[in-house]
Amino acid sequence: MRNISTLIILLATVFTLGSHGILAQETAQVEFDKANILMEKGDYYNALKAYHLIEAQGFRSSFLYLNMGISAAQIDSLGLAKYYFLKTIKHFPNDTEAKVEAERALLFVNSQFSRQSATLPKLPWDKALDWLKEVPTAYGVFWFGYLMGIIACLLLAGKWFSIITFKKLNQVTVIFAISAVLIVTLAYYVSYIEMRFNDAVVINTETKVLQQPTETGTTESFAFEGYTLTIDYKLSKENPDWYYVRLSNGQLGWIKKTEVKPL
Amino acid sequence: MIKIGDKLRFVSFIVFILWIGLGFNVQAQDVEVKATLTETNIFAGEGVTLNIEVIGSQFGTFDRPTLPDIPGLRWLPNRTSQSTNYTYANNRTSVVISYGFQLIAEDVGSFKIPPIPVEIGGKTYNTKAIPFKVLDPKTIDTGKADSSPDIYVRIEPNVTNPVVGQQVIATVVLYFKAGIEVNSYQALAGWKAEGFWKEELEMQRQARSTSSIINGVRYQRAELLNYAIFPTKAGELTLSPFPISVRMRQNRSGFRDPFSFGFGQENKELNTLPVTINVQRLPEPKNADLIGAVGDFKITRNISTSKAFVGESIEIETVVSGTGNVPLINKPTYIFPSALEEYNPQENTQINRGNNIISGTKTFSDIIIARNEGEFIIPEKNIAVYDPNKKSFKYTTLPALHFEAIPDPKATAGSQLVETRLNIKPKIGLAQWVPTSTNYLLNNSSLFIWLALPFMFLLGAFGYKQYSDKMANDTGFSRSQKARQKSFDTLQEASSTTDIKLGYHLIQAALSQFITDKCNLPEAGLSNLQLVQEVKTKAPNSDFSDLQKLFNKCETIAYAPDVSQVGLTDDIEIAKELIKKLGKVL
Repeated sequence: MRNISTLIILLATVFTLGSHGILAQETAQVEFDKANILMEKGDYYNALKAYHLIEAQGFRSSFLYLNMGISAAQIDSLGLAKYYFLKTIKHFPNDTEAKVEAERALLFVNSQFSRQSATLPKLPWDKALDWLKEVPTAYGVFWFGYLMGIIACLLLAGKWFSIITFKKLNQVTVIFAISAVLIVTLAYYVSYIEMRFNDAVVINTETKVLQQPTETGTTESFAFEGYTLTIDYKLSKENPDWYYVRLSNGQLGWIKKTEVKPL
Repeated sequence: MIKIGDKLRFVSFIVFILWIGLGFNVQAQDVEVKATLTETNIFAGEGVTLNIEVIGSQFGTFDRPTLPDIPGLRWLPNRTSQSTNYTYANNRTSVVISYGFQLIAEDVGSFKIPPIPVEIGGKTYNTKAIPFKVLDPKTIDTGKADSSPDIYVRIEPNVTNPVVGQQVIATVVLYFKAGIEVNSYQALAGWKAEGFWKEELEMQRQARSTSSIINGVRYQRAELLNYAIFPTKAGELTLSPFPISVRMRQNRSGFRDPFSFGFGQENKELNTLPVTINVQRLPEPKNADLIGAVGDFKITRNISTSKAFVGESIEIETVVSGTGNVPLINKPTYIFPSALEEYNPQENTQINRGNNIISGTKTFSDIIIARNEGEFIIPEKNIAVYDPNKKSFKYTTLPALHFEAIPDPKATAGSQLVETRLNIKPKIGLAQWVPTSTNYLLNNSSLFIWLALPFMFLLGAFGYKQYSDKMANDTGFSRSQKARQKSFDTLQEASSTTDIKLGYHLIQAALSQFITDKCNLPEAGLSNLQLVQEVKTKAPNSDFSDLQKLFNKCETIAYAPDVSQVGLTDDIEIAKELIKKLGKVL
C-alpha cells in the first residue's frame, strides 16, 4: 500500500513538471507568434526585443535565431545579424532549411562589411577538433568510447566464463579497452575545449584589441563590426569586464565584453 | 701552327700606338678645361700648385697654357710639370693632360686666379676663376697650434635646426695635420642617432683630403662617410659620438718610434664630439592631409581600370617620388564609398642613396572590390608636402577617381546570392523549442554512474567466477554451500511421507547431513553423539540441547508407544529451526 502511494506521488510530480515544461513551451510559441506579427508590420526593433524576451525565458529555436538575424539586419545592426545567423548554424546544424537560409543571409551580411579580417588557415588538429565538436559532438564521441568499453568488458567476462573463445581474444580485449579509454578521454577533451573557447562576433562599429585588460592598455589591433574572434574563457576569468581573444588573423589581445557577443 | 693569340696582341698594340700618335691631331670634341689650386688658404712664403687639366676624348694639338700674372702669387717656372693619363670607361676612352704650375705666396690678402685661356684646335677654352687667401704667418697662435690635436674626427650636419622629417646630411670628417699619413679607416659599431631615422649614403669616390686652416693651423680635411638622418620628433636631439678606427703613420722629422722598425704605422680609435640638433615642429597645413613628406616630392594617384566587374579587385596606386624623407612617408587616407570592400593596402619603397642625398619612390596600393554594380567616385584629396628650402608647404590635389562596376556575366550561382538587400523571409509558424542551457559533457555528473557500470559488472562477474571456481574445486566449501538446501530437501521429503518412522529417519538424516557438510566431516560412520560433540566444539557457547533431544527421539522412535503425524510435523519444524541455528554458528 505504502509502495503504491509513493508511486502515485512520483508520477504526479513527473506529470506536473512535464506539463509545466509544455506550458512554458506554449508560452514561448505564443510570444514568438506575437513577435512575428510585429516583424510583418515592419516594426523590426520591437520584434527583436520580443524575440530577446523569449530567449531570456530559456528557450531557443532555429526559427527564433533566424528571425532575430533578419530583424537585426533590417535595423542595420549587421554585426548583431551576423551573430544570430551564426548562432542558427551553430546550435541547429541539423535543421537543414534554417541552416541554408542562415548561410545565404550570412553571405549577404558579410558582403556589407566595409572591412574584412584576414583569416589564418586552421591547423589540422584544430580542424579535427571542430569536426568532433560539430558532427559527432562530445557526447557522440563519449558514447562511442563507452560502447568500446562495454565490448571490452563483455569479452573479458566471456573469457572468464569460457563463453567466448578465439585465438587472439586477449589482444582484442586489450585493444578495445585501450581504445575505450582513449576515446572517452578524447570526448572529455573535446568538451573541455568547448567550455574553454567560444566564437564571438564584434557588434560595435570599431573597437580596440588591447595588450592589457585596461582602458589605457597598448593597442594591439583594431576589430571592426562583424569580425569573428575566439574567446578564451579560462584566461578571461580573472578580468570580469574583459575577454581574452584571438582574432582570425592570429593576433591575441583583450577586448571589452560589451563589444562582442559570444555564440 | 700559327699562334693567333700573339697576333691579336700585336695588332692591338699597333692600334693603340696609332691612336696615341694621332690623338692630339684630330678635332676637339667634348673638351673640358679646368683649374684647381691645391690650397686656397695659403700662408705667405708657402708653396702651392695650380693644376690645369685638359680632359677630352679627342682633341687637336695645343700649346702649354700660359699663366697670366696672378696677384699675391709668384710662378716658379722651372718647376712646372706635365703628365698624360688615359682612361677607358663605359666604352669610351678619355685623355687627361695635366700641367702643374708651382707658385709661391708673397702678398697677404684675398685674391683671385683669373680665368686662364687654353687654345685647342683653334678654339679657346677658359678655366674658372679661383679665389684664394694669402695669410700672414704672424697670425698663427703657436701655443694653440701646438696644443691642437694631430688628428681628430668630427660629425658635421649640413643643417642644425631642421624641421621634423627634414633630410639632414651628417658627414663624418677626419682632420689631420701635415706629416700624418692616413692609410685606411673603418667605422666602428655603436653610433646611435636616437630620434632620427638614418640611412648611409653612397660615397661618390674614395675619400680625398683638402687643406683647411683651423685656428691658424693647417689641417688636411677628408670626408669619410655621409649619412642622411631624418629627425622623427621635435626638440633638442643629440647625435652620439661616432667611433672610427684609422690606420695612420706619422712622418714628422724627429719623431721616430724606436720600436716601429721603420714602419711607424699605428691604429687609432677616434670619436666625434656629440652634436646637438634643434628640431622644429612642422607647421599645420591648410585643408590638406599631411603624410609626413618633407622634401621635394611629386605625388600622383591612378586607378587600374575605369570599368570592372562586381567582385573584381581594383588597384588604386599612389606614387610619391622625389628627394627627402622617402622611408618616413605615410599612406594618404582615402574615403571610399561604403559599397566598396577594402583590403589591406600594400606599400613598396625604392630608395636611391647616390648623389649624396636620399631620393626615391614610395608606392602605396589600395585594393578595393565593388560588391554592387554602379558608378563609384573616390573623392579628390589634398596632400601637403613641406619644402624645407622654401620653408612652406607645397600642396598637391589628387583628382577624383571614377569607375564603373558592372555585373560579371561569368559569375557563379554562389556569387549571385550576394544581393543588394537581404532577401530572406522570416520564419513563422510552429517552432521547435529547446532549452538554451548547454549541458556540457564535462559538467554531466550522471555520466560518471554510466562509467562506473561496466566496472561494477566486471566486479560482479569476477566475484561470481571466484565463487564458481571454489564450488567446483573446493569440496568442503561446495558441501557447506549446498548443505542447507540438501537438508531442507530431505526434510521436505520427510514432511510428505506418511510413514512416521521413515519421517524421523529422514529428520535424522537431514540433521546429520547438514552438520557433516558444514563441518566437512565424512558423510557416514559418525554417531549422533559424535555429531553433537562436533557442534559443541564449534559453538561452545550455544545451547543445542534440542539437537540432542531430537537425535535421541529419532533413534528411539521405533520403540515409542504412540506417535502421530502431528508430532512428526512439529519435529520437522524443530529440525528446520535447528538447521537455521546451526547454519549461523557452523
